[in-house]
Amino acid sequence: MAGTRSPSPRSLSDGSFRPVMVGGCVAAFVMVLSPLVAIVWISFFENKIISFPPTGYTLDWYRAAAAMPQFRDGFVTSLKLGVVATLVSLIAGVPAALVLARGRFPGREAIQSLLLAPLIVPGIVAGAALYMFLIEVELASGVQVAMTFWGLALAHSLIALPWTVRLVTASLVGLDPQLKEAALTMGARPLTAFRLVTWPLIRPGVVAGALFAFIASFVDLEKSLFLVGPGVTTLPIVIVNYLEWSIDPTIAAVATVQIAVISAGLVLTDRYFKLARAF
Amino acid sequence: MSALALTGEDSLTGGLPAPGATDRRRRRSSAGWLLFPSLTLVLAGLVLPLALMARTSVAHFDAASPDLVGFTLENYARFFGEPFYLMILARTLVVALSCTAICLVLGVPAAFVISRVESRALKTVLILATIIPLLMGNAVRAAGWMVLLADKGLINSALLSAGLIAEPVRILYTGSAVVIGLIAVLLPFMVISLESVFENIGTAYEEAAQTMGAPPWTAFFRVTLPLAMPGIFSGCLLCFVLAMNAYATPVLIGGPSFQMMAPKVFEQAIKVYNWPFAATIALVLMAVTLVLSVASSLALQKRYGVL
Repeated sequence: MAGTRSPSPRSLSDGSFRPVMVGGCVAAFVMVLSPLVAIVWISFFENKIISFPPTGYTLDWYRAAAAMPQFRDGFVTSLKLGVVATLVSLIAGVPAALVLARGRFPGREAIQSLLLAPLIVPGIVAGAALYMFLIEVELASGVQVAMTFWGLALAHSLIALPWTVRLVTASLVGLDPQLKEAALTMGARPLTAFRLVTWPLIRPGVVAGALFAFIASFVDLEKSLFLVGPGVTTLPIVIVNYLEWSIDPTIAAVATVQIAVISAGLVLTDRYFKLARAF
Repeated sequence: MSALALTGEDSLTGGLPAPGATDRRRRRSSAGWLLFPSLTLVLAGLVLPLALMARTSVAHFDAASPDLVGFTLENYARFFGEPFYLMILARTLVVALSCTAICLVLGVPAAFVISRVESRALKTVLILATIIPLLMGNAVRAAGWMVLLADKGLINSALLSAGLIAEPVRILYTGSAVVIGLIAVLLPFMVISLESVFENIGTAYEEAAQTMGAPPWTAFFRVTLPLAMPGIFSGCLLCFVLAMNAYATPVLIGGPSFQMMAPKVFEQAIKVYNWPFAATIALVLMAVTLVLSVASSLALQKRYGVL
């Protein structure tokens, strides 16, 4: 192989490697971060009609947004849904993760795929399917579920479940199943063994799973779209409905509040559980 | 319940003698109980609804009644028979493929740089700056692009006040705006999947190649990238699937005339109330995405061996 010294793309000089790579990286972050920076910045603009440069800065839009009932209600509904979905996903997901982490058994792969499926089936497809299903349930039973809080809570529990299963399972990978067996052999009751051995080991995964579950529920748009109704609308849907009519600093203030809530949650999560491990 | 039975105890106990028969039985029954809530949730909230959706897609549409009647392929025939819907499918595919390609071009350098940054603090900041937008939700990011790209948005007013343009340039509500918006949504997924891959490959191979005289670009294209192929493929697949199913970005940034598949599902189900056709579009979307994912992974498997 005499020709190994010739560079594969001949036009690229050796010295260009670092600048091109760093340039690509900067371009990527500009693409990803600019919409978020723009919305936060505009939320402080004094002028109602967006123009550059701004005439001045103000906090009035936050007051205006807080005074609008649709944003307040949307925020409260999203918060309540997030809490319910997180609790359900923990009650259902933590025991499932304990079984999955026990190791190989027939059907394990299938069960794991099934429990992670809500993450893979597109939100719009899953939302439409759940909506049709809940209407059929309603026709059969006479109880209204679609377009109620509890219909949304079911959808959001499914959004949250894969995250608790995944993160609790991840925190158990490599854990020696003999630790718990040793505790049991030495006379610990199953509940004591769980409390003293298993729980401390899974706690970071449970905390991270709960926070991720909450965030995934809080920001969901596609699945909720079909299921919201009068009086029960989530914050992302209120934002989208508003955006279809106008773009102004008030909506930027609402979006900034959501950005602040989510960022705080994630920075907090990162202290318990390295975020990069969740993907 | 037999599928849940725990056999193959050897792997659980690391090859040591298996626990007694009573223990095994207890494990088996406890596995069932521990899995019961989560499996019930997924069955009731996802599997049954999807089955019902498949049934709905072969029902005859009757505007007067929501009951599912008849078995017919007329909805599928309508979708594949009308150029209008095939156009929407084609447009969705073109948008998804262009977004995936651009995400790859921008994502590879970004992930490579993050994986090779020496300062731990800077690396943490860069990873957080990737993950936080990823979990921010589509509504907020679409809002960000709208204030940037609108006729009276930040970019146009900045260009106007700088005297570079006389009239606002139309960016929002065009196909390019949708692609821009989607790239911003998908890029973090690409960067985060590639970053861990480059991290795992490590610097040893590159250094070896460069020690033996390979210039940096050759080392990168001939050594590092081929090693990262499986990760690159899964990153592209993730971007493609998410782009195919995008809803918020095309609706808000593309406007009513730029139609894609996922918004059509919503329109048919909620605005037209034609559930059988909405179900058909949803299933066509899922099937096309699935077939292309499987086909591309088989093609790559042939070329690069086991992925």
